[in-house]
Amino acid sequence: MIAIIDYGLGNVQSVAGAVEKLGFKAVITSSPEELQKADKLILPGVGAFADGMKNLHNLGLIKVLNTLVLEQKKPILGICLGFQLMARESYEFGHHTGLGWLDASVIRLEPGNNLRVPHVGWNGLQQRQQNVLFENIPAEALFYYTHSFHVKMHQEQEALGKCSYGISFTSAAKKENIYGTQFHPEKSQQFGLKLLENFLKKG
Amino acid sequence: MLRKRLITVLTFNDGVLFRTKDFIPDYRYTANFVDAWSIDEIVLLDITRPGEGKKENFYQKVQDFARNCFVPLAVGGGVKTIEDFRKLLRLGADKIVINTEAMQNPKLITEAAQLFGSQCVVVSIDAAKNGDGTYEVCTEYGKKRTGLDPAAWAKRAQELGAGEIMITSIEKDGSLEGYDNVLNKMVTEAVTIPVLVCGGAGKWQDFVDGFVQGQASGACTTCIYHFTDSSIKSAKKYLANSGLDVRT
Repeated sequence: MIAIIDYGLGNVQSVAGAVEKLGFKAVITSSPEELQKADKLILPGVGAFADGMKNLHNLGLIKVLNTLVLEQKKPILGICLGFQLMARESYEFGHHTGLGWLDASVIRLEPGNNLRVPHVGWNGLQQRQQNVLFENIPAEALFYYTHSFHVKMHQEQEALGKCSYGISFTSAAKKENIYGTQFHPEKSQQFGLKLLENFLKKG
Repeated sequence: MLRKRLITVLTFNDGVLFRTKDFIPDYRYTANFVDAWSIDEIVLLDITRPGEGKKENFYQKVQDFARNCFVPLAVGGGVKTIEDFRKLLRLGADKIVINTEAMQNPKLITEAAQLFGSQCVVVSIDAAKNGDGTYEVCTEYGKKRTGLDPAAWAKRAQELGAGEIMITSIEKDGSLEGYDNVLNKMVTEAVTIPVLVCGGAGKWQDFVDGFVQGQASGACTTCIYHFTDSSIKSAKKYLANSGLDVRT
Protein backbone atom coordinates (compact mmCIF):
# COMPACT_ATOMS: atom_id res chain seq x y z
CA MET A 1 0.00 0.00 0.00
CA ILE A 2 1.20 3.48 -0.91
CA ALA A 3 0.36 6.26 1.52
CA ILE A 4 -0.23 9.69 0.05
CA ILE A 5 0.33 12.11 2.87
CA ASP A 6 -2.66 14.37 3.31
CA TYR A 7 -1.70 17.65 4.94
CA GLY A 8 -4.36 19.86 3.44
CA LEU A 9 -2.32 21.36 0.60
CA GLY A 10 -1.53 18.62 -1.87
CA ASN A 11 -3.32 17.60 -5.04
CA VAL A 12 -3.89 14.27 -3.37
CA GLN A 13 -6.59 12.99 -5.75
CA SER A 14 -4.40 13.27 -8.84
CA VAL A 15 -1.52 11.52 -7.13
CA ALA A 16 -3.84 8.78 -5.88
CA GLY A 17 -5.30 8.42 -9.38
CA ALA A 18 -1.85 7.98 -10.90
CA VAL A 19 -0.77 5.45 -8.26
CA GLU A 20 -3.94 3.40 -8.79
CA LYS A 21 -3.63 3.62 -12.55
CA LEU A 22 -0.25 1.93 -12.10
CA GLY A 23 -1.90 -0.93 -10.23
CA PHE A 24 -1.01 -0.02 -6.65
CA LYS A 25 -3.35 0.55 -3.75
CA ALA A 26 -3.29 4.20 -2.70
CA VAL A 27 -4.45 5.53 0.65
CA ILE A 28 -4.80 9.26 1.21
CA THR A 29 -4.07 9.71 4.87
CA SER A 30 -2.65 11.73 7.73
CA SER A 31 -2.92 8.88 10.24
CA PRO A 32 0.42 7.79 11.76
CA GLU A 33 -0.82 4.16 11.85
CA GLU A 34 -1.58 4.15 8.11
CA LEU A 35 1.75 5.79 7.32
CA GLN A 36 3.48 3.12 9.42
CA LYS A 37 1.69 0.35 7.48
CA ALA A 38 2.51 1.78 4.05
CA ASP A 39 5.25 0.28 1.87
CA LYS A 40 6.10 3.67 0.47
CA LEU A 41 5.15 7.28 1.07
CA ILE A 42 4.41 10.14 -1.26
CA LEU A 43 4.51 13.74 -0.04
CA PRO A 44 2.63 15.72 -2.70
CA GLY A 45 2.28 19.45 -2.70
CA VAL A 46 0.64 22.46 -4.16
CA GLY A 47 1.07 25.49 -2.00
CA ALA A 48 3.25 27.69 0.09
CA PHE A 49 6.18 26.39 2.14
CA ALA A 50 5.26 27.98 5.47
CA ASP A 51 1.73 26.61 5.39
CA GLY A 52 3.00 23.19 4.39
CA MET A 53 5.27 23.01 7.42
CA LYS A 54 2.61 24.46 9.69
CA ASN A 55 0.07 21.87 8.56
CA LEU A 56 2.52 18.98 8.98
CA HIS A 57 3.26 20.29 12.46
CA ASN A 58 -0.40 20.77 13.43
CA LEU A 59 -1.22 17.24 12.28
CA GLY A 60 1.58 15.93 14.48
CA LEU A 61 3.28 14.38 11.46
CA ILE A 62 6.80 15.73 11.68
CA LYS A 63 8.04 13.35 14.37
CA VAL A 64 6.27 10.38 12.73
CA LEU A 65 7.77 11.18 9.34
CA ASN A 66 11.24 11.66 10.80
CA THR A 67 11.03 8.21 12.35
CA LEU A 68 9.69 6.51 9.22
CA VAL A 69 12.01 8.23 6.77
CA LEU A 70 15.23 8.77 8.72
CA GLU A 71 15.23 5.73 11.04
CA GLN A 72 13.15 3.08 9.28
CA LYS A 73 14.35 4.27 5.86
CA LYS A 74 10.93 3.94 4.27
CA PRO A 75 11.11 5.14 0.65
CA ILE A 76 9.46 8.50 0.13
CA LEU A 77 8.88 10.65 -2.93
CA GLY A 78 8.35 14.39 -2.50
CA ILE A 79 6.65 16.14 -5.38
CA CYS A 80 6.98 19.89 -6.04
CA LEU A 81 6.25 21.54 -2.66
CA GLY A 82 6.65 18.08 -1.11
CA PHE A 83 10.21 17.99 -2.47
CA GLN A 84 10.87 21.54 -1.26
CA LEU A 85 9.66 20.71 2.26
CA MET A 86 12.45 18.11 2.49
CA ALA A 87 15.04 20.89 2.40
CA ARG A 88 16.44 22.39 5.57
CA GLU A 89 15.16 25.90 4.88
CA SER A 90 13.12 28.06 2.55
CA TYR A 91 13.14 31.72 1.65
CA GLU A 92 9.56 31.77 0.34
CA PHE A 93 7.77 34.74 2.01
CA GLY A 94 10.38 35.02 4.79
CA HIS A 95 12.69 32.39 6.21
CA HIS A 96 11.31 29.05 7.29
CA THR A 97 12.72 25.80 8.59
CA GLY A 98 11.95 22.67 6.58
CA LEU A 99 12.05 18.95 7.36
CA GLY A 100 15.82 19.07 6.91
CA TRP A 101 16.17 15.66 5.28
CA LEU A 102 18.15 17.17 2.40
CA ASP A 103 21.03 19.58 2.78
CA ALA A 104 19.36 22.13 0.54
CA SER A 105 17.73 25.55 0.52
CA VAL A 106 14.57 26.62 -1.28
CA ILE A 107 15.16 29.88 -3.10
CA ARG A 108 13.32 32.06 -5.60
CA LEU A 109 13.61 31.09 -9.24
CA GLU A 110 15.34 33.99 -11.01
CA PRO A 111 15.85 32.92 -14.60
CA GLY A 112 16.62 36.36 -16.08
CA ASN A 113 16.46 36.83 -19.87
CA ASN A 114 12.89 38.18 -19.61
CA LEU A 115 11.69 34.65 -18.85
CA ARG A 116 8.37 34.51 -17.10
CA VAL A 117 7.94 33.35 -13.50
CA PRO A 118 6.29 31.13 -12.33
CA HIS A 119 7.94 28.58 -14.59
CA VAL A 120 4.85 26.82 -15.88
CA GLY A 121 4.64 24.14 -18.50
CA TRP A 122 6.49 21.27 -20.11
CA ASN A 123 10.24 21.26 -19.86
CA GLY A 124 13.08 18.77 -19.94
CA LEU A 125 14.89 16.66 -17.37
CA GLN A 126 18.62 16.26 -17.92
CA GLN A 127 19.54 12.97 -16.33
CA ARG A 128 22.84 13.67 -14.55
CA GLN A 129 23.11 10.27 -12.89
CA GLN A 130 21.85 6.81 -13.62
CA ASN A 131 19.08 5.89 -11.29
CA VAL A 132 16.16 3.48 -11.11
CA LEU A 133 13.89 6.53 -11.23
CA PHE A 134 14.99 7.15 -14.84
CA GLU A 135 14.71 3.61 -16.16
CA ASN A 136 13.08 3.56 -19.61
CA ILE A 137 12.74 7.31 -19.66
CA PRO A 138 14.27 8.82 -22.79
CA ALA A 139 16.64 11.77 -22.46
CA GLU A 140 14.24 14.00 -24.39
CA ALA A 141 11.18 13.23 -22.21
CA LEU A 142 9.27 16.31 -21.02
CA PHE A 143 7.71 16.88 -17.63
CA TYR A 144 5.22 19.38 -16.24
CA TYR A 145 6.61 22.07 -13.97
CA THR A 146 4.77 24.80 -12.11
CA HIS A 147 6.79 26.69 -9.49
CA SER A 148 8.34 30.03 -8.52
CA PHE A 149 10.93 28.59 -6.13
CA HIS A 150 13.47 25.82 -6.56
CA VAL A 151 15.59 23.55 -4.41
CA LYS A 152 19.24 24.50 -4.30
CA MET A 153 21.12 21.36 -3.32
CA HIS A 154 24.23 21.85 -1.19
CA GLN A 155 25.34 18.27 -1.87
CA GLU A 156 25.63 18.18 -5.64
CA GLN A 157 25.91 14.36 -5.70
CA GLU A 158 22.30 14.23 -4.47
CA ALA A 159 21.06 16.07 -7.56
CA LEU A 160 19.90 13.37 -9.97
CA GLY A 161 18.53 15.57 -12.70
CA LYS A 162 18.47 19.17 -13.79
CA CYS A 163 16.15 21.41 -15.72
CA SER A 164 17.16 24.42 -17.71
CA TYR A 165 15.09 27.62 -17.56
CA GLY A 166 17.40 30.60 -17.78
CA ILE A 167 19.40 28.90 -15.04
CA SER A 168 19.98 25.20 -14.42
CA PHE A 169 18.16 23.99 -11.32
CA THR A 170 17.71 20.61 -9.63
CA SER A 171 14.56 18.92 -10.87
CA ALA A 172 15.12 15.47 -9.37
CA ALA A 173 17.06 14.48 -6.27
CA LYS A 174 17.86 11.37 -4.27
CA LYS A 175 19.48 10.73 -0.93
CA GLU A 176 19.28 7.11 0.20
CA ASN A 177 15.55 6.36 0.53
CA ILE A 178 14.51 9.96 -0.08
CA TYR A 179 13.46 11.03 -3.57
CA GLY A 180 12.17 14.36 -4.79
CA THR A 181 11.02 15.90 -8.06
CA GLN A 182 10.33 19.55 -8.77
CA PHE A 183 8.04 18.57 -11.68
CA HIS A 184 4.76 16.75 -11.26
CA PRO A 185 5.12 13.12 -12.44
CA GLU A 186 1.38 12.61 -11.85
CA LYS A 187 0.72 15.38 -14.39
CA SER A 188 3.36 14.43 -16.94
CA GLN A 189 1.52 11.77 -18.89
CA GLN A 190 3.30 8.63 -19.98
CA PHE A 191 6.83 9.52 -18.87
CA GLY A 192 5.60 10.96 -15.60
CA LEU A 193 3.68 7.77 -14.92
CA LYS A 194 6.76 5.73 -15.86
CA LEU A 195 8.92 7.65 -13.40
CA LEU A 196 6.30 7.20 -10.71
CA GLU A 197 6.12 3.48 -11.51
CA ASN A 198 9.91 3.26 -11.21
CA PHE A 199 9.70 4.76 -7.73
CA LEU A 200 6.82 2.50 -6.71
CA LYS A 201 8.48 -0.68 -8.01
CA LYS A 202 12.16 -0.04 -7.46
CA GLY A 203 12.63 3.05 -5.33
CA MET B 1 13.51 24.91 -23.26
CA LEU B 2 10.03 25.54 -21.96
CA ARG B 3 7.47 24.46 -24.55
CA LYS B 4 4.53 26.51 -25.79
CA ARG B 5 1.34 25.03 -24.38
CA LEU B 6 -1.80 24.04 -26.24
CA ILE B 7 -4.73 24.09 -23.85
CA THR B 8 -8.27 22.80 -24.18
CA VAL B 9 -10.97 24.73 -22.34
CA LEU B 10 -14.13 22.79 -21.48
CA THR B 11 -17.21 24.51 -20.13
CA PHE B 12 -19.83 22.68 -18.10
CA ASN B 13 -23.43 23.50 -17.31
CA ASP B 14 -24.68 21.46 -14.37
CA GLY B 15 -21.98 18.88 -15.03
CA VAL B 16 -22.71 18.57 -18.77
CA LEU B 17 -20.13 19.65 -21.33
CA PHE B 18 -21.27 22.68 -23.29
CA ARG B 19 -20.05 24.48 -26.33
CA THR B 20 -19.22 28.01 -25.35
CA LYS B 21 -20.92 30.26 -27.82
CA ASP B 22 -24.51 29.21 -28.20
CA PHE B 23 -24.93 26.96 -25.15
CA ILE B 24 -26.04 23.84 -27.00
CA PRO B 25 -25.36 20.72 -24.97
CA ASP B 26 -22.88 18.39 -26.56
CA TYR B 27 -22.41 14.96 -25.09
CA ARG B 28 -20.14 13.45 -27.71
CA TYR B 29 -16.80 14.76 -26.59
CA THR B 30 -17.24 14.70 -22.86
CA ALA B 31 -14.27 12.61 -21.85
CA ASN B 32 -13.23 10.69 -24.93
CA PHE B 33 -10.13 12.66 -25.57
CA VAL B 34 -8.76 12.91 -22.07
CA ASP B 35 -6.61 9.83 -22.47
CA ALA B 36 -4.95 11.45 -25.43
CA TRP B 37 -1.29 12.04 -24.82
CA SER B 38 -0.81 15.26 -26.70
CA ILE B 39 -2.89 17.97 -25.02
CA ASP B 40 -0.70 19.99 -22.63
CA GLU B 41 -3.29 21.15 -20.17
CA ILE B 42 -7.05 21.15 -19.59
CA VAL B 43 -9.20 23.96 -18.20
CA LEU B 44 -12.60 23.05 -16.74
CA LEU B 45 -15.03 25.91 -16.21
CA ASP B 46 -18.38 25.73 -14.50
CA ILE B 47 -20.78 28.07 -16.29
CA THR B 48 -23.91 26.96 -14.43
CA ARG B 49 -25.98 30.02 -13.64
CA PRO B 50 -26.72 30.49 -9.96
CA GLY B 51 -29.71 28.43 -8.87
CA GLU B 52 -29.85 26.42 -12.11
CA GLY B 53 -27.86 23.36 -11.18
CA LYS B 54 -26.05 21.47 -8.50
CA LYS B 55 -22.43 22.34 -7.74
CA GLU B 56 -21.89 18.64 -6.95
CA ASN B 57 -22.40 17.73 -10.61
CA PHE B 58 -19.46 19.91 -11.58
CA TYR B 59 -17.37 18.64 -8.67
CA GLN B 60 -17.98 15.11 -9.90
CA LYS B 61 -16.64 16.08 -13.33
CA VAL B 62 -13.54 17.64 -11.81
CA GLN B 63 -12.89 14.46 -9.88
CA ASP B 64 -13.44 12.30 -12.98
CA PHE B 65 -10.94 14.32 -14.98
CA ALA B 66 -8.41 14.38 -12.14
CA ARG B 67 -8.65 10.62 -11.77
CA ASN B 68 -8.40 9.83 -15.46
CA CYS B 69 -6.17 12.32 -17.16
CA PHE B 70 -2.59 12.87 -16.18
CA VAL B 71 -2.13 16.42 -17.39
CA PRO B 72 -2.50 19.65 -15.44
CA LEU B 73 -6.04 20.70 -14.63
CA ALA B 74 -7.08 24.29 -14.10
CA VAL B 75 -10.57 24.65 -12.70
CA GLY B 76 -12.86 27.63 -12.27
CA GLY B 77 -16.28 29.17 -12.52
CA GLY B 78 -18.02 30.70 -9.53
CA VAL B 79 -14.97 30.47 -7.24
CA LYS B 80 -15.55 32.98 -4.44
CA THR B 81 -13.71 31.88 -1.32
CA ILE B 82 -10.56 30.21 -0.02
CA GLU B 83 -12.84 27.28 0.84
CA ASP B 84 -13.80 26.99 -2.86
CA PHE B 85 -10.08 26.87 -3.69
CA ARG B 86 -9.50 24.18 -1.10
CA LYS B 87 -12.47 22.12 -2.27
CA LEU B 88 -11.41 22.14 -5.94
CA LEU B 89 -7.76 21.44 -5.12
CA ARG B 90 -8.81 18.47 -3.01
CA LEU B 91 -10.83 17.14 -5.95
CA GLY B 92 -7.68 17.18 -8.06
CA ALA B 93 -7.39 20.66 -9.55
CA ASP B 94 -3.83 21.92 -9.91
CA LYS B 95 -4.76 25.54 -10.25
CA ILE B 96 -7.83 27.65 -9.83
CA VAL B 97 -9.25 30.15 -12.28
CA ILE B 98 -10.94 33.23 -10.83
CA ASN B 99 -12.63 35.97 -12.80
CA THR B 100 -15.48 38.13 -11.45
CA GLU B 101 -14.56 37.51 -7.83
CA ALA B 102 -10.97 38.61 -8.44
CA MET B 103 -12.31 41.99 -9.53
CA GLN B 104 -14.83 42.30 -6.73
CA ASN B 105 -12.56 40.99 -4.00
CA PRO B 106 -8.91 41.37 -5.07
CA LYS B 107 -7.77 40.26 -1.60
CA LEU B 108 -8.79 36.74 -2.60
CA ILE B 109 -5.89 36.66 -5.09
CA THR B 110 -3.38 37.52 -2.37
CA GLU B 111 -4.83 35.18 0.24
CA ALA B 112 -4.95 32.28 -2.19
CA ALA B 113 -1.41 32.94 -3.42
CA GLN B 114 -0.08 32.99 0.12
CA LEU B 115 -1.89 29.80 1.01
CA PHE B 116 -1.55 27.73 -2.16
CA GLY B 117 1.28 29.47 -4.00
CA SER B 118 1.08 31.93 -6.89
CA GLN B 119 1.28 29.13 -9.45
CA CYS B 120 -2.13 28.02 -8.23
CA VAL B 121 -3.93 31.30 -8.97
CA VAL B 122 -5.00 32.01 -12.55
CA VAL B 123 -6.76 35.33 -13.02
CA SER B 124 -9.10 35.19 -15.97
CA ILE B 125 -9.91 38.45 -17.71
CA ASP B 126 -12.74 38.91 -20.20
CA ALA B 127 -12.17 41.96 -22.36
CA ALA B 128 -14.47 43.78 -24.76
CA LYS B 129 -13.32 46.15 -27.46
CA ASN B 130 -14.72 49.66 -27.43
CA GLY B 131 -15.64 51.68 -30.52
CA ASP B 132 -12.49 53.79 -30.18
CA GLY B 133 -10.22 50.74 -30.24
CA THR B 134 -9.57 50.65 -26.49
CA TYR B 135 -10.41 47.62 -24.38
CA GLU B 136 -12.43 47.22 -21.24
CA VAL B 137 -12.57 44.44 -18.64
CA CYS B 138 -15.99 42.77 -18.33
CA THR B 139 -17.30 40.63 -15.50
CA GLU B 140 -20.28 38.37 -14.90
CA TYR B 141 -19.97 36.36 -18.10
CA GLY B 142 -19.22 39.48 -20.11
CA LYS B 143 -22.41 41.26 -19.12
CA LYS B 144 -20.98 43.99 -16.93
CA ARG B 145 -18.43 46.51 -18.15
CA THR B 146 -16.01 47.83 -15.56
CA GLY B 147 -14.17 50.65 -17.31
CA LEU B 148 -10.85 49.01 -16.40
CA ASP B 149 -8.04 48.55 -18.88
CA PRO B 150 -7.22 44.81 -19.28
CA ALA B 151 -3.43 45.34 -19.31
CA ALA B 152 -3.60 47.50 -16.17
CA TRP B 153 -5.80 44.95 -14.42
CA ALA B 154 -3.49 42.10 -15.44
CA LYS B 155 -0.53 43.99 -14.00
CA ARG B 156 -2.44 44.66 -10.79
CA ALA B 157 -3.43 40.99 -10.55
CA GLN B 158 0.22 40.00 -10.87
CA GLU B 159 1.16 42.42 -8.07
CA LEU B 160 -1.59 40.91 -5.92
CA GLY B 161 -0.11 37.43 -6.39
CA ALA B 162 -1.60 35.87 -9.53
CA GLY B 163 0.59 33.22 -11.14
CA GLU B 164 -0.97 33.27 -14.60
CA ILE B 165 -3.32 35.45 -16.60
CA MET B 166 -5.95 34.08 -18.95
CA ILE B 167 -7.15 36.71 -21.39
CA THR B 168 -10.32 36.22 -23.42
CA SER B 169 -11.63 38.48 -26.13
CA ILE B 170 -15.41 38.65 -25.80
CA GLU B 171 -15.86 39.55 -29.48
CA LYS B 172 -13.60 36.80 -30.76
CA ASP B 173 -14.82 34.06 -28.43
CA GLY B 174 -16.62 31.44 -30.49
CA SER B 175 -15.95 33.29 -33.75
CA LEU B 176 -13.20 30.96 -35.07
CA GLU B 177 -11.68 34.10 -36.64
CA GLY B 178 -8.43 33.98 -34.67
CA TYR B 179 -7.33 35.56 -31.43
CA ASP B 180 -7.32 39.30 -30.80
CA ASN B 181 -3.55 39.58 -30.71
CA VAL B 182 -3.55 43.33 -30.23
CA LEU B 183 -5.31 42.72 -26.93
CA ASN B 184 -3.11 39.70 -26.17
CA LYS B 185 0.11 41.61 -26.76
CA MET B 186 -1.02 44.49 -24.55
CA VAL B 187 -1.53 42.02 -21.73
CA THR B 188 1.57 39.85 -22.27
CA GLU B 189 3.75 42.97 -22.33
CA ALA B 190 2.20 44.33 -19.14
CA VAL B 191 3.12 41.31 -16.98
CA THR B 192 6.03 38.95 -16.33
CA ILE B 193 3.89 35.94 -15.42
CA PRO B 194 2.69 33.50 -18.11
CA VAL B 195 -0.34 34.51 -20.17
CA LEU B 196 -2.85 32.14 -21.73
CA VAL B 197 -4.80 33.54 -24.65
CA CYS B 198 -8.40 32.56 -25.39
CA GLY B 199 -11.22 33.26 -27.73
CA GLY B 200 -11.33 32.83 -31.46
CA ALA B 201 -8.95 30.04 -32.45
CA GLY B 202 -10.38 28.25 -35.47
CA LYS B 203 -7.36 27.01 -37.38
CA TRP B 204 -3.80 25.96 -36.59
CA GLN B 205 -2.30 29.23 -37.85
CA ASP B 206 -4.35 31.04 -35.19
CA PHE B 207 -2.32 29.23 -32.51
CA VAL B 208 0.93 30.28 -34.22
CA ASP B 209 -0.28 33.90 -34.31
CA GLY B 210 -1.26 33.74 -30.64
CA PHE B 211 2.26 32.63 -29.73
CA VAL B 212 4.19 34.88 -32.11
CA GLN B 213 2.05 38.04 -32.30
CA GLY B 214 0.25 37.69 -28.98
CA GLN B 215 3.41 36.40 -27.21
CA ALA B 216 1.31 33.85 -25.34
CA SER B 217 2.73 31.12 -23.10
CA GLY B 218 -0.34 29.02 -23.80
CA ALA B 219 -2.98 29.06 -26.51
CA CYS B 220 -6.47 27.97 -25.52
CA THR B 221 -9.13 26.46 -27.68
CA THR B 222 -12.79 25.96 -26.92
CA CYS B 223 -13.55 24.70 -30.41
CA ILE B 224 -15.02 21.22 -30.31
CA TYR B 225 -13.27 20.30 -33.55
CA HIS B 226 -10.00 20.58 -31.65
CA PHE B 227 -11.12 18.06 -29.04
CA THR B 228 -9.69 14.92 -30.57
CA ASP B 229 -6.32 13.35 -30.20
CA SER B 230 -5.66 13.49 -33.94
CA SER B 231 -6.57 17.17 -34.21
CA ILE B 232 -4.31 18.10 -31.29
CA LYS B 233 -1.48 16.08 -32.84
CA SER B 234 -2.06 17.76 -36.16
CA ALA B 235 -2.01 21.19 -34.51
CA LYS B 236 1.25 20.35 -32.72
CA LYS B 237 2.82 19.26 -35.98
CA TYR B 238 1.76 22.52 -37.62
CA LEU B 239 3.23 24.53 -34.72
CA ALA B 240 6.51 22.60 -34.85
CA ASN B 241 6.73 23.18 -38.60
CA SER B 242 6.21 26.87 -37.94
CA GLY B 243 9.33 26.89 -35.76
CA LEU B 244 7.64 26.86 -32.36
CA ASP B 245 8.84 24.64 -29.49
CA VAL B 246 5.99 22.33 -28.60
CA ARG B 247 5.63 18.95 -26.96
CA THR B 248 4.90 16.54 -29.80
